[in-house]
Amino acid sequence: MATLQGYVDHRVLLILQDGRAIVGVMAGYDQKSNVVLSDSKERVYSVEEGVEEIPLGLYLVKGDQIVLIGELDEALDQSVDLSTIRAEPIPPIHY
Amino acid sequence: MLPLSLLNAAQNKPMLVELKNGETFNGHLVNCDNFMNITLREVYQTNADGDKFWKLKECYIRGSTIKYLRVPDTLLDAVKEEQNRAREAGRSARGAHVSGAGNRGGRGMLQRGRGAMRGGPIRGGRGRGRGM
Amino acid sequence: MLIFSVFKTLTDQKVTVELKNDLSITGVLKSVDQFLNIRLDKIEVFDEARHPHMMAVKNCFIRGSVVRYVQLPAEHVDTQLLEDATRREAAAQNKR
Repeated sequence: MATLQGYVDHRVLLILQDGRAIVGVMAGYDQKSNVVLSDSKERVYSVEEGVEEIPLGLYLVKGDQIVLIGELDEALDQSVDLSTIRAEPIPPIHY
Repeated sequence: MLPLSLLNAAQNKPMLVELKNGETFNGHLVNCDNFMNITLREVYQTNADGDKFWKLKECYIRGSTIKYLRVPDTLLDAVKEEQNRAREAGRSARGAHVSGAGNRGGRGMLQRGRGAMRGGPIRGGRGRGRGM
Repeated sequence: MLIFSVFKTLTDQKVTVELKNDLSITGVLKSVDQFLNIRLDKIEVFDEARHPHMMAVKNCFIRGSVVRYVQLPAEHVDTQLLEDATRREAAAQNKR
């Protein structure tokens, strides 16, 4: 059974259908994959400049907007220097 | 912590709601249901491009059109605190005849009573309804 | 239910999931549910240079509704069995 139980209280990366990438601590979830993220930050990627992190605070994201939830390896994430990363934003979902 | 519990606890708190079409609604939560349909009051609506604004006294938003909601950071701790208090109240109510009711009565009892009443109807309506 | 059952037999196999946003992720299938949501371990994003977003992610949950394709290991899928099971289910459906 694919459940989100293992991610509770862990730092996760959420990719949304519009291509947004949000990192935060997963405080809770439900059967429809609605997710509560605390201490969340949006990571905006661009080809010209490094990653911009926008603090968002407490966030409730609707499950139907979620593409993927990744468990962040905090040590690995800390070692990455976001200002050096150049990348296109993630493409949005199209059906 | 269920997302719907967080939302129910956010009644009367300010929040930002973004819809799938990019419109944003800033207002105070009046009510919500299991589908995450919500009513807000004192709302500032902005269109997706951010160049048109409306002020609405009240509005109803269908849950299925919501992309996400932003709520005050303090809400998470407030809800956890209330859930703990409700759990303590349940525990003490069950063990009341064992330990001195006098101790739990008085100021402590009064607070819990009010707290339980606030959370009671909401939780009772949802949880107990399903149990039945 | 049938495809759900197929996935259940493929746990611990390496699969590649292509999403509707064109992202391709390879990983070990850890679990699947009735909505065909997928849990992958030890993931590698195809074309990592273009998608450094998931550098620090080793395992993930993918919502079934955003999956376009799942590439399965051919040696672990019994297509004959699958065909028979499908025909049986279709027949049962028609009877109803």
